[in-house]
Amino acid sequence: MADASSHDSWKEWFQLHGPKLLLCARQWTRSLADAEDVVQEAFVRFWRHQRGLAGEPQALLITSVRRAAIDLARRNDRRQRREEQADEPEPFFEPLAEGDDRRQAIESALRRLPAEQREVLTLRIWGECTFDEIARQLDIPLNTAASRYRYALSALRRELTAADCHG
Amino acid sequence: MDEELQQLEAELKQLCPRTVSPDLRQRLARELEPLVRPRWVWTALPIAAALALLLTLNRSDHEVPTAAAPAVVQTTTRPTAEVYRPVSVENVLYASEDEGIVTLENGARVHRVREAYVDTVTWRNPQTNASLRWSVPREEVRVVPVYFQ
Repeated sequence: MADASSHDSWKEWFQLHGPKLLLCARQWTRSLADAEDVVQEAFVRFWRHQRGLAGEPQALLITSVRRAAIDLARRNDRRQRREEQADEPEPFFEPLAEGDDRRQAIESALRRLPAEQREVLTLRIWGECTFDEIARQLDIPLNTAASRYRYALSALRRELTAADCHG
Repeated sequence: MDEELQQLEAELKQLCPRTVSPDLRQRLARELEPLVRPRWVWTALPIAAALALLLTLNRSDHEVPTAAAPAVVQTTTRPTAEVYRPVSVENVLYASEDEGIVTLENGARVHRVREAYVDTVTWRNPQTNASLRWSVPREEVRVVPVYFQ
């Protein structure tokens, strides 16, 4: 991820990395609105107080987003459960100009993955984290992060193959 | 990883995460834009401060003590409104490194974990509702003695 301290404009930086952060946040929240809230909280804190710190800004921001998501879940657990049953899930990805059925199938399969596999897959593919960074973020052994990633990919492939077979 | 999984991985990388809504951008702008002040403010503020200082000095040079001036200097202090109280403390862990088993200078073998935090303390003045926030980086090193049998 680009060096945040060299950017004068938060808009420029957020334009590049905001969608990835939001997608990561959605793995730990129950709705798009909640994901936006935690990204806002984490990004404002980062931009005001932490962007000059040494180290990888991505790791700091993702940690911050995850912590904000956990705090929000604790605060609003019961209310959100009720809302979750009523809401249609918002898409994770931009629609494709061609072959959007495939995007929908992938997204649907992704949602059916166990949460711990989906978060590793998301951090690796769209968060562009290394396995070492993922292991630190989630406080799990590096081998566990790598194996969850492989399980997630295998499960996705199975789901997508089954979906193709059933038309 | 087999070729089929690598193809799937490549296909997933082609998917673009949904763009951030204009609403979230506006909310961020409301929080972050006031921090950016127009350039003229940085020039005008020191000039205004210097002018104010000059005026004050000028006035004090020309002040003549009058007979009506109070002979006793008031020394009682009024209760100040500038009382800030800590209202929240937050710690964000942003890096953690498990260094495994290491040997210290005294020969003791220990398990050492190094963690980097940012601590943010917020104070608030209950009378004016003004707040002050202070963030500092902190490194914490945990050492656990290890005994082998």
